[in-house]
Amino acid sequence: MNRLVTRLALVAAGLAFSADLAAQPAAAPPARAYAIRGARLHTLAGPTIDVGTIVVRDGRIVSVGTAVEIPPDARVIDGMGLTVSPGFFDAMSQLGLTEIDAIAATNDFAEIGEFNPQLYTATAVHHASEHLPVARANGITHAGAAPGSSGGFGGSASIITGQMSVIGLSGWTIEEMLIAKSVGVLVNWPTMNTASFDFGASAFRTRAFADVRADYEKKVASLRDYLQQARRYVAARDGGQPVETDLRFEALRDVLSGKLPVIARAHTDRDIRNVVEFCRQQQLKLVIAGGDQAWKAADVLAKAQVPVILGPTLALPGTEDEPYDKPLSRVGELHKAGVKVALSTFNSADSRTLPYEIGSAVPYGLPWEDALKAITRYPAEILGLGDRLGTLEPGKLANLVVTNGDPLELRTTVVHVFVAGQPVSLSNRHLSLYELYRSRPRPAPAR
Amino acid sequence: MTRALLTSALVAATAAVAAAQTPAGRATLIKGATVLTITRGDIARGDILIRDGRIAAVGTSLAAPAGATVVDATGKFVSPGIIDAHSHIAIDGSVNEGSLSVTSMVAIQDVIAPDSIAIYRALAGGVTTVNVLHGSANAIGGLNATLKLRWGATAEAMLFAGAPPGIKFALGENPKRAGSTAGPGGQQRYPATRMGVIDVIREAFTDARDYKRQLDAHKASVAAGKKPLVAPRRDLQLEPLVEILEGTRLVHAHCYRSDEILQLLRVADEFGFRIGTFQHALEGYKVADEIAKHGAGASTFSDWWAYKVEAYDAVPYNAALMTERGIVVSINSDSAEEMRHLNQEAAKAVKYGGLTDDQAMRLVTLNPARQLGIEARVGSIDVGKDADLVIWSAHPLSTYAVAETTYVDGTVMFDRAADLSRRAASAAEKAALIEKARKATDAPRPADRRPTEMSRPQAPAPGALEGAVR
Amino acid sequence: MRLRLPACAIALVVAMTCVPPRVHAAPDLVYALRNVRIVPVSGAVVASGTVIIAGGLIQAAGASATVPRGATEIDASGLTVYPGLFDALTDLGLPAAAQPAAAPTPGGGAPVARPASSVRGPQDRPGSTPWIQAADDVKPDERKFETWRNGGFTNALIAPKAGLLPGQSAVIALAGERTSDVVVRPAVTVQASLTPTGGFGTFPASLMGVIAYLKQVWIDTAHYGAWLDQYAANPRGIERPPHDRAVVALHEAMKARRPVVLTAVTATQIRRALTLAAELNVSPVIAGAHQGYDAVDALGARKTPVIVSVKWPEKARDSDPDADEPLRTLQFRDRAPSTPAALARAGVPFAFTSDGLATPRDVLKGVKRAIDAGLVPDAALRALTLSPAEMFGVADRMGSIEAGKIANLVVTDGDLFDEKTKVRMVFVDGQLFEQKDATRPADAGGTRPGVPAIVDGGVR
Repeated sequence: MNRLVTRLALVAAGLAFSADLAAQPAAAPPARAYAIRGARLHTLAGPTIDVGTIVVRDGRIVSVGTAVEIPPDARVIDGMGLTVSPGFFDAMSQLGLTEIDAIAATNDFAEIGEFNPQLYTATAVHHASEHLPVARANGITHAGAAPGSSGGFGGSASIITGQMSVIGLSGWTIEEMLIAKSVGVLVNWPTMNTASFDFGASAFRTRAFADVRADYEKKVASLRDYLQQARRYVAARDGGQPVETDLRFEALRDVLSGKLPVIARAHTDRDIRNVVEFCRQQQLKLVIAGGDQAWKAADVLAKAQVPVILGPTLALPGTEDEPYDKPLSRVGELHKAGVKVALSTFNSADSRTLPYEIGSAVPYGLPWEDALKAITRYPAEILGLGDRLGTLEPGKLANLVVTNGDPLELRTTVVHVFVAGQPVSLSNRHLSLYELYRSRPRPAPAR
Repeated sequence: MTRALLTSALVAATAAVAAAQTPAGRATLIKGATVLTITRGDIARGDILIRDGRIAAVGTSLAAPAGATVVDATGKFVSPGIIDAHSHIAIDGSVNEGSLSVTSMVAIQDVIAPDSIAIYRALAGGVTTVNVLHGSANAIGGLNATLKLRWGATAEAMLFAGAPPGIKFALGENPKRAGSTAGPGGQQRYPATRMGVIDVIREAFTDARDYKRQLDAHKASVAAGKKPLVAPRRDLQLEPLVEILEGTRLVHAHCYRSDEILQLLRVADEFGFRIGTFQHALEGYKVADEIAKHGAGASTFSDWWAYKVEAYDAVPYNAALMTERGIVVSINSDSAEEMRHLNQEAAKAVKYGGLTDDQAMRLVTLNPARQLGIEARVGSIDVGKDADLVIWSAHPLSTYAVAETTYVDGTVMFDRAADLSRRAASAAEKAALIEKARKATDAPRPADRRPTEMSRPQAPAPGALEGAVR
Repeated sequence: MRLRLPACAIALVVAMTCVPPRVHAAPDLVYALRNVRIVPVSGAVVASGTVIIAGGLIQAAGASATVPRGATEIDASGLTVYPGLFDALTDLGLPAAAQPAAAPTPGGGAPVARPASSVRGPQDRPGSTPWIQAADDVKPDERKFETWRNGGFTNALIAPKAGLLPGQSAVIALAGERTSDVVVRPAVTVQASLTPTGGFGTFPASLMGVIAYLKQVWIDTAHYGAWLDQYAANPRGIERPPHDRAVVALHEAMKARRPVVLTAVTATQIRRALTLAAELNVSPVIAGAHQGYDAVDALGARKTPVIVSVKWPEKARDSDPDADEPLRTLQFRDRAPSTPAALARAGVPFAFTSDGLATPRDVLKGVKRAIDAGLVPDAALRALTLSPAEMFGVADRMGSIEAGKIANLVVTDGDLFDEKTKVRMVFVDGQLFEQKDATRPADAGGTRPGVPAIVDGGVR
């Protein structure tokens, strides 16, 4: 069923933690239809169905409910004691764009240059990355592969870093995996930071605020100019003027027209307010990514209906005086203020922790169902994929996670994962190494 | 305990603490909780009596002594305080003395920052004891400090009295990498390979053995009534290595790959000492039998991997696999952030590898206590042990568990309700001080404002750097 | 002009039996400061009295003192005379350039004590030049000295400051042409710094490395010192000890029980410095001490002398207006000036350092802030005069207005800490520096040595 077949053969002895369906990929050719019967269904489109059935066919969900007819050709899974949720969406990840963080040669998320709207991450997503099955085994079924920024520590050299593609985490080629080539253009919103770490001198350096501000204004002006040029280009081309094709400006068309959002990485209250105002003036659709201090700007975000894709909740407060639990409580605070919030890991290796990151926010004021939505339905809606992903509703892509309990609980086991209507193997590099070394013979007792 | 408090937030915190703490001779009774004893299973609707900072009784239906503070913990869970076997919080200055390959002369104890906010945040995650280690830049690093998180106390008062001394070693990429590039004005540092790392350790112990011979010879000649004119020079670099040879100092060796673990075991065997813990030991599962046979502990991460080559074979099953092979295993944080939810990290060993809840809880309580040689005092809820306790809103292995109250030596060091209730007052104080300073600075000010050694801003170093090098 | 000895001794006046030969080139004038309010610091204020200055010394001071024949009389009605002010730690007059450092500065060619690449450990004595004596290196800088005299400062403890063991300090007078003129006492304290001077690659590169280094140097000093002494007494049969310049200098300083000055600003740093001093078995002097208000217990336990920096912490002018500064930073700034009052209450001896402030006016403003934060003005004055003299072993010759002490005086037209007060005259080693246009402390313009303008009655 996938590239792990050979490794699975190697560790065929122990698949206690992987799905029985996926365990026999060679033996059982894929079916067109599957039904999970008698399971708890977190539809996220309506109330949770305590005991219900979900049927998928040809990659899509066809029916969800308590009185669902199971087609005769469907392969049936007994869902007793199991819970079905929409597959988790790590909306801003680096999955497929890095293998070993410290080895630059394995990193493909950050390009050189200030403005790179013509870059699509799907171009470089390594479909055979070891990270993908690791994330998938914990219920991550699809992810945004976010372009990052070059420029050393802080990575502030780039402004437009590229376009974010969304991929399903199963497939032999990127074509099989691709859900959307672009869901928006990433803008690394310039920030004003007077403190920086000087690695050469191993000390913090402080710059005068006036200088920092001047730099910031220069960067924002250059972004404004760039967008202006792109608009003129589009107008000229559309007006039939003989203008040579510019791939960069072409790539901005959907953003300039408001079809796709600017996904702006911004963290501080000031930056967030600035970028909201900038996009209002420029008439651009905006999504905030990161948003450490978005809670401080909740008023403007709610008013402008700007959604936020937050970073991890298991994070340190941004300043000494910030309450110790702010990274946990801010999710609920934003939600309460009427801001649509999703949560993402902004990571690759750690992508699998997504359900715990959001689950941890629940006791700090985030309603449980909104927590689950923050890694399923909300990111799909925020990134314009709400009609295809995020809930258990007929017609939607059948990306599902089946667990033996609360999907956000640490001790819950993922039993099945469906990507595009097919059960996928839960084996991965870690499980394989586990099985291999678990079977290491014990040394003979000392004589 | 001296309370050198820096801030009124701290003052407020301590005032809250003082109100709730157990003065000497007074008692606290925590009632009606599910008590996770760690050593003797869980007690449903259990009670814990604290007296003089120690656990005086554990059971059900305990009577409150006269004057005791009674804490109703019905529906909640109580665990021993979390112990982090690998941390770099609360260090003033660099975590590494990165200049030399052997820096056994430097000591974390000398540079504890007792006012570091990381301590308070750790308490808010239920952590009560930490092993604060030197960084991993050198084959042989500096001396550790085991701390009780007595928030508000001086550095000296935070030291875990009686904890065996330890030292940091480091293998693999970090001590190699430190040698790979020369800083400004410096020259490339030996070693740059794993064979060089092992050589550095062997050379150091060869020197230490010679030094010990000198000391012993001097001692013998003094004992024999001779008066040698010049005693051997006391060498702060070699002294801790002699202690390792004599078995009185614990080696905490940072490592990742299985081969380097075996390399260090060979050196230890050659020089006749024992490794206390392999720290991180992400490939410990590959050589678990060898580690177990040597008698070393292993302290690992729950699920970090792939951040560098030597972490590419890391698996979240590591803790479970090593436990199965008889190693005393702990899960550590190496991070001011991760340490705030070590309970969650322990829970992952239930999911990955199937440890029982009790085994998982041990990874962050009794096992690190054993690794640090302090299990007689902390790590479980047993009569006579220090009253280092955490009251959780739910089972600590749950995603939804919140540390509500953390006790160290029977004193409330963190209380969530108190924290929440003083936020407004802190904000008001801050606003008032900002306004006061603004008024004062409207007046003409001195012309020369260049910072000097004394007037340089003394704000604590950003926590972002704490434990930056894994 | 001859000096006439007083006929009798009265009140505060102690007869001088001899006048030591003058070693510096000040005009050998005798002055009688009359009708002046005397604040001697060591005793009660005299509402109106006379101070006789001769041979560089205070010959007499009191309600009445016989004016020697030939003295230049100065009618100081309405004026107040204080002991000259004392900056307890500065680098005034010391060369800035030739300071040693442990490591070369990137891109710069600062001279180094030892090339960084050759430091393999404590044995290579990085950043250590304890043999450097401020008393040898001081070069009177008349322009700067004048600035400080104008503000009433007559003396300072000057110390080299580059490296971990930069050298030893000296008490100087702020007037004179040559090194020999200005040194009051050489080799007063040993300076030590806990700030690493090297980069990541040069030992010691960290705070803990510096502390470890200092411990080892002191162990070595005791070890080699004992060895050196034994060898000096009788070299036969003893292996020749190695020559280690740093250790030799420290050994001498420790034998003389010279205090060690350690910079420590926060309460934690203060406690850390005291712990280290105890381990090194040295007498510490704490410099900086802005958060001394939170370490009074530790400082009070052994009455450790403190040199408080009056360059109080404040927000950088060019900082981010939206930065969320920690509450405790704000509290620290707010409370730092309360340190002197807290020390005074606990009986901890303290003095003040200008700590890089450019003018004496800024220093007095800083002291005023301490007064506003609860420090009794008399205690503030003492910290600027007699206390540093006591701290640095020169209270037998200066620091207060007493007969026989060096005539280091400041004459003002009002209370020293009143912002409107102007310094009218300054005496350094008996030499008069007068402000023609009497200015406020620290204002530019200058006192020049010479014949006083405010002369009443002329020469007798």
